[in-house]
Amino acid sequence: MQKTSANALIPTSHLLGSGTATCSGCGALADIRLFYEILGEKTIFVNAAGCMTLLTVYPFTPFRGSWIYTAMASAPAGAQGVRDALDLLLAKGRLGKEEDLQVVVLTGDGSAYGMGLSSTSGAMERGLDFIYICYDNEGYGNTGHQFSAATPHGASTATSRGMTGFPGYKKDLFSIWAAHNPTYLATVSGADPLDMVRKIKKAKDLRGPRMFIALAPCPTGWHFDASQTVKIGKLAVQTGIWPLKEYVNGKVEHTRIVTKKRPVDEYLKMQGRFSHLFEPRRNEKVLDEIQTRVNDYWKNVEEGE
Amino acid sequence: MFRIRFHGRGGQGMKTASRILGSAFFLEGYETQDAPRYGAERRGAPMFAYVRAAKTTIFERGIILRPDLVVVADESLLLLQSAGVLADLAEHSLLLISSSHSPEELQKKLGMVRPLLTLSMPVPKDIFTSHPPQSSACAAAAAQLLGLSLQSVRQALHMELSGLSDEKMAENEETANSAFLQMEPHRGRVGEQPETGSVSEDRPSWIILPFEDARISSPAIHGEATSLLMDTGSWRSLKPFIHKEQCSRCDLCHTYCPEGAISFDNDGYPCIDYKHCKGCLICLVQCPLHAIEAVQEDGSFHNNKQGDDQCDNS
Amino acid sequence: MRQLLTGNGAAAWGMRLAGAEYVPAFPITPQTEIIETISGWISSGELDARMVTMDSEHSMLTAAGTAAATGVRVFTATSSQGLLYAMEMLYTVAGWRAPFVLVNVSRALSSPITLEPDHNDVLAARDSGFLQIHCSTCQEVVDSLLLAYRLGEDERVRLPVIVNLDGYYLSFTREPVILPGEDVVSRFLPPYDPEETQFRAKDPLSQGVAVLGGSHYSYFRYETHYASQNGLSVFAEIGREFGDLTGRFYSLLEEYRTDDAEIVFFMIGSFATKAKEAVNRLRDAGQKVGLLRPRLLRPFPEHAIAAALRGVKGVAVVDQNISFGKGGILFAELASALYHIKERPLALVSFIGGLGGRDISNAEFYEMARVTAEAAQSGKIPPPRLLYTKEELARIQGLKAIASAGLHKEQ
Repeated sequence: MQKTSANALIPTSHLLGSGTATCSGCGALADIRLFYEILGEKTIFVNAAGCMTLLTVYPFTPFRGSWIYTAMASAPAGAQGVRDALDLLLAKGRLGKEEDLQVVVLTGDGSAYGMGLSSTSGAMERGLDFIYICYDNEGYGNTGHQFSAATPHGASTATSRGMTGFPGYKKDLFSIWAAHNPTYLATVSGADPLDMVRKIKKAKDLRGPRMFIALAPCPTGWHFDASQTVKIGKLAVQTGIWPLKEYVNGKVEHTRIVTKKRPVDEYLKMQGRFSHLFEPRRNEKVLDEIQTRVNDYWKNVEEGE
Repeated sequence: MFRIRFHGRGGQGMKTASRILGSAFFLEGYETQDAPRYGAERRGAPMFAYVRAAKTTIFERGIILRPDLVVVADESLLLLQSAGVLADLAEHSLLLISSSHSPEELQKKLGMVRPLLTLSMPVPKDIFTSHPPQSSACAAAAAQLLGLSLQSVRQALHMELSGLSDEKMAENEETANSAFLQMEPHRGRVGEQPETGSVSEDRPSWIILPFEDARISSPAIHGEATSLLMDTGSWRSLKPFIHKEQCSRCDLCHTYCPEGAISFDNDGYPCIDYKHCKGCLICLVQCPLHAIEAVQEDGSFHNNKQGDDQCDNS
Repeated sequence: MRQLLTGNGAAAWGMRLAGAEYVPAFPITPQTEIIETISGWISSGELDARMVTMDSEHSMLTAAGTAAATGVRVFTATSSQGLLYAMEMLYTVAGWRAPFVLVNVSRALSSPITLEPDHNDVLAARDSGFLQIHCSTCQEVVDSLLLAYRLGEDERVRLPVIVNLDGYYLSFTREPVILPGEDVVSRFLPPYDPEETQFRAKDPLSQGVAVLGGSHYSYFRYETHYASQNGLSVFAEIGREFGDLTGRFYSLLEEYRTDDAEIVFFMIGSFATKAKEAVNRLRDAGQKVGLLRPRLLRPFPEHAIAAALRGVKGVAVVDQNISFGKGGILFAELASALYHIKERPLALVSFIGGLGGRDISNAEFYEMARVTAEAAQSGKIPPPRLLYTKEELARIQGLKAIASAGLHKEQ
């Protein structure tokens, strides 16, 4: 039955087909599902290598519109080819307006923060009319969760197993993308669907590069039970670790200001990838640093806004 | 040669089990080969692993046909054809199934005449956070059936689980011990079988592949949402059950379900598409009124017709 | 009308005449002149096409592939390192079975980095699924562009095509070229009809889908092999049709004075016209020498080659490439094509020449013919020979003396 959800903003049509091979409790799938509900089937998803490569496995696809798999580095370039070709066909009358498609790039953080950065930069600098969804599960999830440029400080991954975890810091992709002055840019989280839906709807009606970084809690790579995905997604926002924000017309605005933030411990403790910071004894140094960085971030926000 | 197959779901430890058994064989002087095999599917989906062991060099590779022993981590896999538990069995193949039932009960339940053994596991304290060390238990039970020593199993445990805390290690050892003991009456029941000769194999039915044009011979899908044909409900070991009498129809379970497996019945109550629900139980955790309960999967993965499926308006 | 055009100019004209609508681009020497020419035409309004400069050749090939899969006629061009940088996407887009044309202007590969041509760049793409047409004159470049679109778009093929021309020797060299008229082009090359294989709202299509399991995978890979092989008969067919329209007939092989030849040079690319010059002079001296040049390298016209070499005593295979640890790539390809032929040539002699654009002199062609004839007569086949002289060694020794001045200071 089609029913208007209790909150009328959240559509319920199950446009993206069930039955994909993603892990049980996949945060990225939840994000993509919501995007698909709003963007609809008059879309072509241009997919980079990552967990979502296997959204389609011959002959099964969850999409009701179109999809193409490219490679890890060049999904935005693939989007360029599709958009340009559609524009040519429209201009020459070989494609009716009603046959046009919204072009959507779908990549993980491994591609977005690293290998795909050059082609993404190129697409933005050319003002490509497309939507980019980065599902950020903070590691190379599809290969067993090695650290990526999106891995947070201190996290244990398949390639940072030591007692202090990943020594680097999560790259500020939002700022890198913002420096290109795209039409629209936002962070979202599937655990806050109202904020997410509002942003996708806003972007849908704009033209030009519209960029999203979606937090995608990963039971398999972050080591938590699949049932906790949403809870962890909520805590990411409530602790201030995952700021929900948007960038429009040269300005960054935070769309959820949590006045009483929970300590980062609450978020970190739920995930096996941070358990070495709590057992056998608390690693005060790293935990303090993580908390301090979050505090500093929000202090800057308050002073700036 | 000994040929052993382990069947489980991604995350149930059957790869580890195969490695523990592989190491136990190796420690007893066998040439050994062990490997996991996964498909596209992820944690929760059926997978298998296998072990070969022989006193001479092993030349065979890849998937095991005609296994001597098949170890199954989860009885619900037997009902699932795509899991392939019963594929390519020989007459002598013995099944060892992790189950709380007795062998006779299970045979009856599954309607199977083939001889099988069951291995009972300790009951978990908390379904979400404590998982019994299934890998150690299955490997130890298999070792007993194959006539390997407990000492080799214990040594193999330490080799394969070296990253574990002392506490976890002790739990694994204890579980392995008790599984080994459980199989004591059947010690050495699985023996090496004579190899099949080259003359007994059928010739392959090779054909000349016909040419087909690009529209149908490229890996493209002309269609929509064909993924619905996949029964990802088979990944579940726990199943969410909605108690309508406690439900306020707030829709949160539907909103947060990553699979899109919850919709609404004619009265606006949420109902679950068990053909596709992978059993993550996000719905259970997010339900503010605790109207959703987790029940043990009984193997009726996709009762989409009557009764079990809660969507009665399909 | 004949006019003077460089190979790059001819490639640009080929694209223009073929009515390619979309050109993802990225500059690299010695290809750049092609995209500069196209860009100039677009800005002057002479050409109605869209060109987009991408961030890399990898992106360029991706955009070319996705645009072709969306149903427009696509042209793109690169060279050398650029082709290698795009290599992942060559293999990927070929599997989408969406045709377009890629011009590769051959340039030898790094390391050491260099500028002039050999064929290791394009041969690295040998197994990608792209068909390969190799040109030896600027006229062939423009004609091959038209042939390439017709070939790739044929429903028996549906694969992208590389048209290869040598850097410097063709890319920057002007020669008289006849541009086919628009009437000829419109009769030879109808507009591209992607049928149901394009992306549009009413026909949902998932493309480039993962195929798991070796059995299913084998099906798709072998179908692509069939499609490539179909290119042989399609090329033969359209090469005749093109000839009927223009008087310039294109077959799978160029056979130059091979009718009664006892010794044949076997090679590809622009250096083959040098071999023709040598053949003429050897013929003048009464020697029965010819040249056999495959125009298509993929699909490999092995039956046509075997037939053309029937009765030939010796073949001098001139490889302008080197497969480290094996030797000349054409040599191995040719040997495998001849293995089961009863009347196969008595001697195949391997020569490696023209690496990095190193010239091959007439005298060297004469010597290759002599060595090959001797091998055919004696049955003693000499080991592979690098075309490299005493004088060349002396010159590199001089350079090495400078480069090595800082070594062995203690001695």
